Amino acid sequence: MTVSTTHSLTVPPGLVIAPQLPDLLQPVKVRRGVLGFLRNHPTVAIGGALLLCLVLIGIFAPYLGTVDPTAIAPAKRTRAPSADFWFGTDLLGRDIYSRVLFGTRVSLTVGLSVATLATLAGLAIGLVSGFVRWADSILMRFVDGLMSIPPILLAVALMALTRGSVGNVILSITIAEIPRVSRLVRGVVLSLREQPYVDAAIASGTRTPMIILRHILPNTLAPMLVQATYVCASAMIVESILSFIGAGTPPTIPSWGNIMAEGRALWQIKPYIVFFPAAFLSVTVLAVNLLGDGLRDALDPRMAKSL
Amino acid sequence: MDRRTVLKGLAGAGSLAATGGLSMPALSQGAAARTLRFVPQADLANFDPIWGTQYVVRNAAALVWDTLYGIDATLQPQRQMVESEEVSSDGLTWTFRLRPGLKFHDGEPVLSKDVVASLTRWSARDPMGLMIKAIQNELTAVDDRTFKWVLKQPYPKMLLALGKNNTPCAFIMPERIAKTDPFKQITEYVGSGPMKFARSEWVPGAKSVFEKFTDYVPRQEKASWLAGGKQMLVDRVEWVVIPDPATAAAALQNGEIDWWENPIADLVPVLKKNRNISVDIADPLGNIGVFRMNHLYPPFSDVRARRAVLTALNQEDYMRALVGDDTSLWKPLPGFFTPGTPLYTEEGGEILKGKRDFAAAKKLLAESGYSNQPVSCIVAQDQPITKAQGDVTADLLKQMGMNVDFVATDWGTVGSRRAQKTPPGQGGWQMFHTWHAGADCLSPAAYAGIRGNGDKAWWGWPTSPAVEKEVTAWFDAKSLDEEKAAVARLNRAALEDVIYAPTGFFLNYTAWRKNVSGIAKGPLPFFWGVSKTA
Amino acid sequence: MVSYILRRILATVPVMAIVALFVFSLLYIAPGDPAAVIAGDQASPADVERIRQSLGLDRPFLVQFGSWLWHILHGDLGTSIFTNLPVSSLIAQRIEPTLSLMAITLVLTIVLAVPLGVVAAWKAGSWVDRTIMTFAVFGFSLPVFVVGYVLAYVFALEFEWLPVQGYMPLSEGFWPWLENLILPAVALGCVYIALIARITRASMLEVLQQDYIRTARAKGMGQGSILFIHALKNAAVPIVTVIGLGIALLIGGAVVTESVFAIPGLGRLTVDAILRRDYPVIQGIVLLFSFLYVLINLLVDVTYTLVDPRIRY
Repeated sequence: MTVSTTHSLTVPPGLVIAPQLPDLLQPVKVRRGVLGFLRNHPTVAIGGALLLCLVLIGIFAPYLGTVDPTAIAPAKRTRAPSADFWFGTDLLGRDIYSRVLFGTRVSLTVGLSVATLATLAGLAIGLVSGFVRWADSILMRFVDGLMSIPPILLAVALMALTRGSVGNVILSITIAEIPRVSRLVRGVVLSLREQPYVDAAIASGTRTPMIILRHILPNTLAPMLVQATYVCASAMIVESILSFIGAGTPPTIPSWGNIMAEGRALWQIKPYIVFFPAAFLSVTVLAVNLLGDGLRDALDPRMAKSL
Repeated sequence: MDRRTVLKGLAGAGSLAATGGLSMPALSQGAAARTLRFVPQADLANFDPIWGTQYVVRNAAALVWDTLYGIDATLQPQRQMVESEEVSSDGLTWTFRLRPGLKFHDGEPVLSKDVVASLTRWSARDPMGLMIKAIQNELTAVDDRTFKWVLKQPYPKMLLALGKNNTPCAFIMPERIAKTDPFKQITEYVGSGPMKFARSEWVPGAKSVFEKFTDYVPRQEKASWLAGGKQMLVDRVEWVVIPDPATAAAALQNGEIDWWENPIADLVPVLKKNRNISVDIADPLGNIGVFRMNHLYPPFSDVRARRAVLTALNQEDYMRALVGDDTSLWKPLPGFFTPGTPLYTEEGGEILKGKRDFAAAKKLLAESGYSNQPVSCIVAQDQPITKAQGDVTADLLKQMGMNVDFVATDWGTVGSRRAQKTPPGQGGWQMFHTWHAGADCLSPAAYAGIRGNGDKAWWGWPTSPAVEKEVTAWFDAKSLDEEKAAVARLNRAALEDVIYAPTGFFLNYTAWRKNVSGIAKGPLPFFWGVSKTA
Repeated sequence: MVSYILRRILATVPVMAIVALFVFSLLYIAPGDPAAVIAGDQASPADVERIRQSLGLDRPFLVQFGSWLWHILHGDLGTSIFTNLPVSSLIAQRIEPTLSLMAITLVLTIVLAVPLGVVAAWKAGSWVDRTIMTFAVFGFSLPVFVVGYVLAYVFALEFEWLPVQGYMPLSEGFWPWLENLILPAVALGCVYIALIARITRASMLEVLQQDYIRTARAKGMGQGSILFIHALKNAAVPIVTVIGLGIALLIGGAVVTESVFAIPGLGRLTVDAILRRDYPVIQGIVLLFSFLYVLINLLVDVTYTLVDPRIRY
């Protein structure tokens, strides 16, 4: 008996051929490239797309049907949303739609700047601390000290020192977020330091900066990227809380936080003043969180379980 | 440490806590009707009415301490602690006799030596008191109920000084407390007023409690502002600080508080709609918005720049930003004195009336030599009145073509920075905003903000010999007509030299629940005569 | 164990010293002058200067710091510039509301978040899991004061089930104390619940993969007991860690919650003090919070031994 396969085969008598197995397991379609990556990880796609939308809104705010966000018109204060004022007007008659769109710039700037700066600083501190043993205890005592002060209180205290400006808001929130990042990096460095390949590198005479660059840094990038997104989200919320207390961005620059702070007394009767910036803030923070979650799942499946 | 033992212990403690107190709250129905819960305009952080001159301190102090005289609703000083007074024919000797039966909260009687010590402390801080002190010969106790004040020159406004409601008021304290240095806080809060201060229940920043003083002997006359019989119809007054206006509104609607001193104007419609809440104007004397410029440095050292601001300033913008769309709450103010009072005048106020002329303003500004230097405006964000004014000013100056450096900060920083005479750029300032109670702007008597005596003047240090001349004329005036004439000339001079820019006259509401009655209009909340049904 | 605890407490001393120096310097170089605020609107520059001197604010930095440190070590946290009351008594007045709020929030969080995380891990990948995780992400995204306002409006004004604001001490009765804290605790706890639920899920997922779980299932143990007796205990270490770290979050959130619900706690005291430049109060509170935080981390470490017998000090 012959069995038709790719190569015809004469079967010796007495031998049984098993029936052909149905194709239960479809072959895995390997999705390559960025698009493939995004299709595989929808959370990253959704979060990233939302964030991109918001960045574009922030950049193109002047062209999206907005007026000067700081132009006051007290005769037209607290008007409800209408054809003239899509989101209504605030307590000084300023157009809320314009303020919210321009506020996107501030909030995103604060979020992204804090994320970048805190990550870089935390990376530096964590690397030095993890690698240079004598510096570890000093740096970690200092970081512990900073961490013992609740972040909001630290930010408020720092803001009380300086005058309100976006730069100072970024600075104070960054200082409050550095401890978390540096602890994370230090933890990664400490665990990696014990790995055999690092030992081998040291034994073969590689200099410390090279070791850090070649071996340690690439492994910290993934958890750091994820942590950076959480820091970004947290920074945007802290900015809104600082403005709420009155220690945040100066009122001449619209930010979601200070639009909400100015409208908070009237939220019962004119909820739109608080509602629109709150909605934008929530969506942005949601987007950043989704992005972070997605990246975490995508970049390191092991990490998905540990974070 | 055995895990099981610890967990058992925790469980035991938990059940104990749960069964421990399912008791009813302490206040029964009857007691609740005798307690008035009030939300003040600000927090009562310290409580020395001579040392700290904030309005909220004075309002609380009026409960705990009594005064020799008190002004009534017609703005005339009436006797309060004093039974009779006598002025010598040359106007130099004032002799006063106290009412019998006056007691302090610790049971001690009120004696002349207490009065003398209190007046000595008060006159070291109060502007009118300082004037009296400057011409004082002696202030002594004659006997336990009589004291006299001998002067070198006559001072016709003596009773007004002793009975005025402008802070600091001449509160009478026990001698041992009044001997405290006027620049240090007192530490004991004992007075002879109708309520005692419950020190043990005081949580600064959150709550202050006052209890009825049962040995208080009110006068027989009907109460009118600080004059007349101060009858307390409730046993307990609790001042509850609620920092968030929306929360305070909700608490009033819910019945968790009885009286809210200063509801923000935008929330008033909600309160008016509520069947259980009454809303009314708090004080017909209202407030005056104040925009002060620094006269020591350019650009505002040049009167043309200051007049440019007045030419462009639109009081309606400021007032709407402050009190909203209710036009019954504000009036334009082409002057510096309270509308509806005897000395009100609009003399010289044309510059603030009529259509705003930005072209003329820009021209004046250019003439003064301004060429786009940054001009700093310090604005306190935590006070709604100053914040709203600051926003409007920033916009106004931008439209005038000025380069505004908007410094957003808090009231405390404004307080310290405005006292700096250094050039802007070295910690100084060029503009700030505040407000005066209308009750403080009735006449030049206690009106520090109107003075033009340069270095000694109020923040901004305006120099205006014309204004100073008229202030003296007012003090020397012998009749109401003479006073009016002097004030009219003063108003004109003050507007010409732009001592400050008045942004308008505005009123505040006050709101209370319908089961509370007896709330009177006035420059401060009066608690006597206020009662509550369950 | 006792020696470990003592060693840990000693190790906190340098940390606290750094915090103290940091906070003191921060405030020393700050602009804004408490003397001016106290003097009030009507005071002259000479008055302000006299008040500064009487408060000792014109002495050099090291003298002020040294004097402050000396008093701290004797248990004297100084006197509030503004109210003239001892800082320790101000803190004592305000600590009960804040601790109550934090305790209720903590209990609420653990009771809600841990089971939610366990269920999400158990049904990993299903719609239950996705729903719970979506709510968790939402919890992160809303600012605390918005949640607070909405809760107050719905439950206090509309339904009138709970009071809008205020605080009743425990001495006035258990239910009045609790009813004033429910809404603030829910508002404050949103973020915390989200965080703990996520961590619980992640930690449980890791544990559920282990062999001994498979064994327990093979032995025929019920799902409930597997989840809560075997898996959760083993997953507890990271959960307890995050609970400890999250206390700092709670303190920050308490500031806003206390403002919205008019609770006379430490959070409000701190913000008021910062805005008024009441240095002694600020310094006292930050020291207190740091100490509490360090204490809580110690408690967390001790709790490890209770949940994981392998951990011994």
